[in-house]
Amino acid sequence: MSHHRVAAITKRLLQQFRRDRRTLALLFVAPIVILGLLGYLIRGSASAPAVGIANEDQGPLGSTVAAALARSSEISTTSIRASDGDSKLKDGSLAAYIVIPPDFSTQAQAGTIAPEVHLEGSQPGTTAPVLQALQQALITLGAQGSVHVQPRVTYVYGGPGFDTLDYFGAAFIGLVVFFLVFVVTIVSFLNERSQGTLERLMASPLRRGEIVLGYMLGFAVLALIQAAEVLIFALAVLKVHNAGNVALIFGIEALMAIAAVNLGIFLSMFARTEFQAVQFIPLVIVPQFLLSGILFPVGSEPKPLQVLSDVLPLTYAVNGLRDVMVKGADLTWGSLQLDVGVVLGFVVLLVLAAVATLRRRIA
Amino acid sequence: MGDSWAVDVQNVSKSFGDVKALDGVTLRVKQGEIYGLLGPNGAGKTTLIRLFVGLVEPNAGTVTVLGQRMPNVAVLSHVGYMTQTAALYPGLSVEENVRFFAAINDAEEGVKDALELVKLYDRRDSVVSTVSGGMRQRCSLACALVHKPQLLLLDEPTVGVDPQLRVELWEDFRKMAAAGTTIIVSSHVMDEAERCQRLGLIQYGKLLAEGTPDEIRATAGSTNLEDAFLRLAGSRA
Repeated sequence: MSHHRVAAITKRLLQQFRRDRRTLALLFVAPIVILGLLGYLIRGSASAPAVGIANEDQGPLGSTVAAALARSSEISTTSIRASDGDSKLKDGSLAAYIVIPPDFSTQAQAGTIAPEVHLEGSQPGTTAPVLQALQQALITLGAQGSVHVQPRVTYVYGGPGFDTLDYFGAAFIGLVVFFLVFVVTIVSFLNERSQGTLERLMASPLRRGEIVLGYMLGFAVLALIQAAEVLIFALAVLKVHNAGNVALIFGIEALMAIAAVNLGIFLSMFARTEFQAVQFIPLVIVPQFLLSGILFPVGSEPKPLQVLSDVLPLTYAVNGLRDVMVKGADLTWGSLQLDVGVVLGFVVLLVLAAVATLRRRIA
Repeated sequence: MGDSWAVDVQNVSKSFGDVKALDGVTLRVKQGEIYGLLGPNGAGKTTLIRLFVGLVEPNAGTVTVLGQRMPNVAVLSHVGYMTQTAALYPGLSVEENVRFFAAINDAEEGVKDALELVKLYDRRDSVVSTVSGGMRQRCSLACALVHKPQLLLLDEPTVGVDPQLRVELWEDFRKMAAAGTTIIVSSHVMDEAERCQRLGLIQYGKLLAEGTPDEIRATAGSTNLEDAFLRLAGSRA
């Protein structure tokens, strides 16, 4: 083995990268962006789950517990009336509310207390801190004697059997389709450019809109079969919780697939090789993935990131899928109309962008 | 700008950044003519051909193809364009490729004729990624002429084609020209230049000389076209 020849290979490799700014950026900038984003998301989390406290106790103990809950760092509490609780859960302003019943002090003397815990239930991440905070608050009572605690827990959505997969499944169904369709489109459209056939198409009577529409339909066929397969697998095999209309879920998936096709065509403009196309994944897909609310609810993100999340289309797609599958939303819900509307608008925008990028720069 | 000109280029200039690809080129090609664009690599031949199909827009000057100012999408259904590299879909068969280009020109009835013309009818089911370079070139040619265009643009069409097939293809070009098809061929192979009715010599984006092969030889005072070309190119460089 000649160390001279080995050194020649090593040197050539480093020389190549010196001129390849994009790869250098990918190697040294992308990790900082991704890790920084992740760190900010987790450490910078602004808000503990919002919990309403309805203290109806006619005795003294209720206010002791309410005060202990208000001191808890796990949750951020507000005082509410029990009758307002359910509507606040549904409009998303509360993640849970706790009702301390009128006979709470009496119960405590009898040895068994039963506070009511009402959970929104669609986000497993918020359920645990609420129950933990309640437990800690009740320890102050337990110290005064042997009191048996039997909280009555109810869920608006989901239920005790609702697990992490039920929560993530809904979003991942859409994400898998979006991601794979994007990768396949960007690579095959790039081939169309690099093998010279796009030049031929542009020198034919074909109009740009016809090319984009043809591509869209072709990939839509593949994407819809894939979307159906993913959906059936998730519902029938994984038994992911679904409270909504299957056709509606499929419709949102289809919109995401069409958006992915056009994003692929649009971005293929900015890549010359398949390698460069793959480089778009950490730059375009990963930040969207982190910020779309799939892993971390948008409401618990630091405020500046929430602004960013609010302008990313994937956020709305994920939210829409979740609303349908977890909460059983249909198109009469204002929130779902917004989600579907934003995704649709994004699709239109991407179609226009894809047509525009076909304009001239071809070879 | 009469209609008898298949291609009429007036005083066209085109730059890409600092590079002047074409510099004041004026050139006319008659209908039914076989016109050769001759010049070294990088002379501007391909840019000129891409102007004819509207893929490139000039910075100055006008390009008129079949009586229409370019760029013009409608006129492209009467133009066939064979790119320098055999631009084909490698995953499709020979016939599927030709049929696709026929379909986007609404000319599916021409598929069989085109395949027979380039002698690929027997190999029509072969997948393009598995066939030889010469066959790809022929398939690419079939894709360019499947819709029986009035103007056929061939960018170095016989690179990688064996001499016998080259002779046969030129026989076909001549027949098509006799039937009224205008053919513009770019090449740096002198043997091909000899077969053209008229030649334009291009270097550094300028048209150095134009005429029949005999006229070119006479201008350069040479008996051999290659020699004539080198002399004309050298006198300006």
